[in-house]
Amino acid sequence: MLTDTGPVAKLYLSIIDDVIENMRELFLDEGLEDRVLDDLRHLWESKMMQSKAMEDFRKNNINSSNFVLQLPANYRQTDQELTASVVIPASQNICSFPVKNNSETLATFSLPAGLAYPVQIPAGVTLQTASGQLYKVNVPVVVTPAPAGQQSVSHPTQKAPAPQPVAVPPHTIHPPQEVEPSPVQATSVTQPPQPMTDLPPSQESSLPQQPQVPAADTSQLQGVQSPPPEVTLAENEPSPQAEPVNFSMTASPCSQLLDFQLGTEEALTQTAQLKTRDVDDILKEVIEEEREKADRLDLYSELSDIVQLDGPADNSDMEEEDGGLPLEENDFLGIINAEAIKVLQEGDGSSDGNSISSSSDSEGVDELANVEEEDPLNSGDDVIEQDIPDLFDTDNVIVCQYDKIHRSKNRWKFHLKDGVMCYAGRDYVFSKAVGEAEW
Amino acid sequence: MDSSNDEALDIIVTNVVATFRTRCHLNLRTIALEGTNVIYKPEVGKVLMKLRKPMITASIWSSGKIICTGATSEDEAKLGARRLARCLQKLGFKVRFSAFKVVNVLAVCSMPFAVHLIDFTKNNRPIASYEPELHPAATYRIKNLKATIQVFSTGSLTVTGPNVQNVATAVEQVYPLLFECQKPLCK
Repeated sequence: MLTDTGPVAKLYLSIIDDVIENMRELFLDEGLEDRVLDDLRHLWESKMMQSKAMEDFRKNNINSSNFVLQLPANYRQTDQELTASVVIPASQNICSFPVKNNSETLATFSLPAGLAYPVQIPAGVTLQTASGQLYKVNVPVVVTPAPAGQQSVSHPTQKAPAPQPVAVPPHTIHPPQEVEPSPVQATSVTQPPQPMTDLPPSQESSLPQQPQVPAADTSQLQGVQSPPPEVTLAENEPSPQAEPVNFSMTASPCSQLLDFQLGTEEALTQTAQLKTRDVDDILKEVIEEEREKADRLDLYSELSDIVQLDGPADNSDMEEEDGGLPLEENDFLGIINAEAIKVLQEGDGSSDGNSISSSSDSEGVDELANVEEEDPLNSGDDVIEQDIPDLFDTDNVIVCQYDKIHRSKNRWKFHLKDGVMCYAGRDYVFSKAVGEAEW
Repeated sequence: MDSSNDEALDIIVTNVVATFRTRCHLNLRTIALEGTNVIYKPEVGKVLMKLRKPMITASIWSSGKIICTGATSEDEAKLGARRLARCLQKLGFKVRFSAFKVVNVLAVCSMPFAVHLIDFTKNNRPIASYEPELHPAATYRIKNLKATIQVFSTGSLTVTGPNVQNVATAVEQVYPLLFECQKPLCK
């Protein structure tokens, strides 16, 4: 029932599924119909979606609007061909907008808001996601969300090598980066052959794109390292090949024209030999660029797009589930929520001689009179009311466990783990959170 | 009130420590959960509550004893203590504000001259003591005032005493002694 869902929504839905399934037997034992359980499930899901419906919608908007397509320098040359609008067919509606070729070196434009997938992107384009990761598109690709509703940028040119298993010389350059992420792929990419014919000049554009290449490639690799959790690994096998192949293709030397009509095999074999020389330099550039980009990454916006940044990424769904469920079972949580307190208060047997229930709400004069009792028992008139109104309870709540909470004078540092943050109505699930605050 | 000379020395009170009792047992857990701006330290068995308006920090024990620190004057300490008691009362405890007592006042003062500590100590044995290996300041204890003054060679003083009046008196008492041992003169 829910097609476009963010990572958080997916997690919640899986939790709902788990709970419902586990309750099924109990319900049956109680003699309740299955229908009741299904009703419950529908109610639950609808309520959840209502509260978060705006979230996901907003998330879709944000995602698409933050796509920045950077066109390489030589696009100017291929102006004529490429001024034909970049057709980005949405699932239901088709939006098209012209490619900006005004800038000298880089042309960037944002996808319009409300853009839905699949998105067709011409070749020679560098995609930049909201989180700042660059994806170099050398082959016209169509970005489609994964079946689970993934929203991040597709891994370009993956499909190119996929159908043709090519013996690609192993990349010794970035094995550390590649190995782990390779099993996890961002999205499935469908590559229609037709657009290729439309954009032959884009192949030329890939030639002087080497400066772009470094940024794109390691970003691709790093981007793969942090895929969204709900990404279903549609194509696991091609991915390891895809990355090395992709890199080799983008590192193609100037002298080479890639004509994709001929198939990617040629490209691969040709580029493979020539890549080794330039790769080291390119790699250094890439690393520097990526570091800069990484500095700009905002933790939570990243989380909203790509949830799992740490740890092995392939079982991210499982991890989050495990983090999510025990949360509710934990006795001690860093809850700053008034509701939980009531429960505890009820269970608090010893009242230490205080009638909490009676006096808690009574702000009558009776209580005031008893405040000060020194050797001369003064009246309660001197009692100073709290002039400072307590800060109103916000709705922004984090429910989590803590690793370490530190305070120096009035500076606080929080190291939190396994939690859910409700901020501005949206839920963010995290396995690690670091915060600083001043009181 | 500087009888020795006409200039006024600025005695800045930096900390006032006070205690009081609530005359009732306090459930620390309730305070920790329901109170605002609280830090629960179960290992020690106390709750810290911080107030903003008089910037004070209070250590609250379950016995009902409360130590209030961080105020900059005695009145502020009392005001803060009462606010605190009011806070606890709002949480539901039958609080009775009693036995308020300022326990310690810490003030700093700066002499307009540097002090030769060795001479100062020699002149004022045994009231003054100076162990440079342990602490860079000479300690001067005034028994009747129950005040302790730490004199640094730069001429800075830190004075601790049971109340502000005592502190001021202590500074006045020690001023002439320090004046004798000014660095440019005594050397």
